[in-house]
Amino acid sequence: MHAIEVGSLTKVYPDGTKAVNDVSFSVEEGEIFGLLGPNGAGKTTTIKMITTLATPTAGTIRVFGADALRSPQEVRQMLGFVPQAISVDGDLTGYENLLIFAKLFFVDREQRKKRIQDALNYFGLAERANDLVKHYSGGMMRRLEIAQALVNRPKLLFLDEPSIGLDPYSRKQVIEQVKQLNQEFGTTIFITTHDMAEADELCDRLAIMNLGRIAISGAPRDLKKMVGGDVLSVTLSGRMPKDLPTELGSVVSSEGGVIKVLTPDGEKAIPRVTDYLERSGAVVESVSLSRPTLEDVFMKYAKAPLQTEGTYQEARSARRSIVRHGK
Amino acid sequence: MNDVQRSVTSAFTIAEMEARKIRHDSTELWMRAVQPALWLLIFGEVFNTVRGLAPGGLNYMQYITPGVLAQSVLFVAIFYGITIVWERDVGLLTKLLSTPSPRISVVVGKALAAGVRGIFQGVMIFALALIIGVNIRFDPLDVLGVFLVVVLFAMCFASLSMTLASFLKTRDRMMGIGQAITIPLFFGSNAIYPVSLMPPWLQAISTYNPLTYVVDAMRAMLLTGDYSGLPVDIAALLISTVFFILCASALLKRLIQ
Repeated sequence: MHAIEVGSLTKVYPDGTKAVNDVSFSVEEGEIFGLLGPNGAGKTTTIKMITTLATPTAGTIRVFGADALRSPQEVRQMLGFVPQAISVDGDLTGYENLLIFAKLFFVDREQRKKRIQDALNYFGLAERANDLVKHYSGGMMRRLEIAQALVNRPKLLFLDEPSIGLDPYSRKQVIEQVKQLNQEFGTTIFITTHDMAEADELCDRLAIMNLGRIAISGAPRDLKKMVGGDVLSVTLSGRMPKDLPTELGSVVSSEGGVIKVLTPDGEKAIPRVTDYLERSGAVVESVSLSRPTLEDVFMKYAKAPLQTEGTYQEARSARRSIVRHGK
Repeated sequence: MNDVQRSVTSAFTIAEMEARKIRHDSTELWMRAVQPALWLLIFGEVFNTVRGLAPGGLNYMQYITPGVLAQSVLFVAIFYGITIVWERDVGLLTKLLSTPSPRISVVVGKALAAGVRGIFQGVMIFALALIIGVNIRFDPLDVLGVFLVVVLFAMCFASLSMTLASFLKTRDRMMGIGQAITIPLFFGSNAIYPVSLMPPWLQAISTYNPLTYVVDAMRAMLLTGDYSGLPVDIAALLISTVFFILCASALLKRLIQ
């Protein structure tokens, strides 16, 4: 059974803008799935529809087999949701924030106390549990939010831009904890982000969304392969070779003592290329390897259409969404 | 648990959330008591010198006390729409609505919280009335009845306010509408003068003003002991409360879309 199965999902706002346009995808149980895309691509709208907070104009949504349109409460019972904006209540203590949510998720009285204590310990908040949340740091609030989404022991956790506004250290902590959750408890995680490094580090699979459509999806590694191979830059002295045997790769440029070689697998090519060059009389001084990043993938699939295919309407929809979700 | 049980439990949880916030910081509650105190101490004292303003042999201080209580509860309740817009803005509402708790429980919970604040207003006003010697029938059952009316009334207007919030959607507009509603309701009711003193067109309007029924019920219990109008008062209040709770629950989702 799929954790999420979305078919031909469409959301048209009353003014006619298509925020989400005929989107279909599925998320497997136990994986970390990333939904990437520029601002206004329709990521948050998609999440809102899956979490039953917004009603789709058309399409189907199943969460662990349950129909999100017919039985929204059943679906909500299975999921945890951490929205984009910090949503813990600053006027309550950390403990109270967890308590209220445990109650709203109908967690049994006997289990409640233990789960709250577990969550506080797990996220390193136990010492500050009885302080008002408004005195917490941004990173602590974020961790409390995730803890809050977990008192329910959800099968599926939604994180909408979890690291937005966090310093690098807090960000790393949050990412580590998300990973751990996935590994220790097998929680399926659905994350949206526009931080490419974060997506690359976390996601088993991802989809890039742009202008309400899914531009491409797959495992990060496969996606990176699609934008081209690795580039080796070799700095040489002595005789510059004009060409390389094709099985080693193709020469992109060769000037000023630097030769650039495009090759499908850079790490394996390093010893072979240096070996070949030295045998042909050159002295290799340094080798550097640059690999395509998710950022390249993102630029290729998410940015290009904005300039080439995007209509005025679509661009407006993107802007509106920024305004709507901007803080 | 069936749906009704779930709704009730969750409503009390939401109310508990509000109550806990008040416990952490009750400054606002005390500030809220200032305005009714001024109405009693200044407006009441001044108009107390005017003979014949209050009907049925009551003095004006007695007459105005239930009116001031009703008005202060109205002021507390009508601003619940702003609270919910604020909670939407900071993302709290989205989070609440992503729980399996039924939507109606969010509305009822907030409305109950308004009721709790209303009870606090009542306690303050009764205390003040005792101190300055306003002659009120402090019969325990009557006082309990007044508190029930206060809770219902607060729930009614908190729900109305949340209904309006789902259309207006911003805090600024809610501030504006709050003022625009409370003042006409207050002056178009029997809170500070009898309906019989009003021009005929205002008398007609006051018949449809829920505040009139609330004040009437409170006066019956606190002053006259004449319960003949009570069933109509309570029925009118109950119907509008249920109506606005249902409206707000159905429309709440508009706020996060």
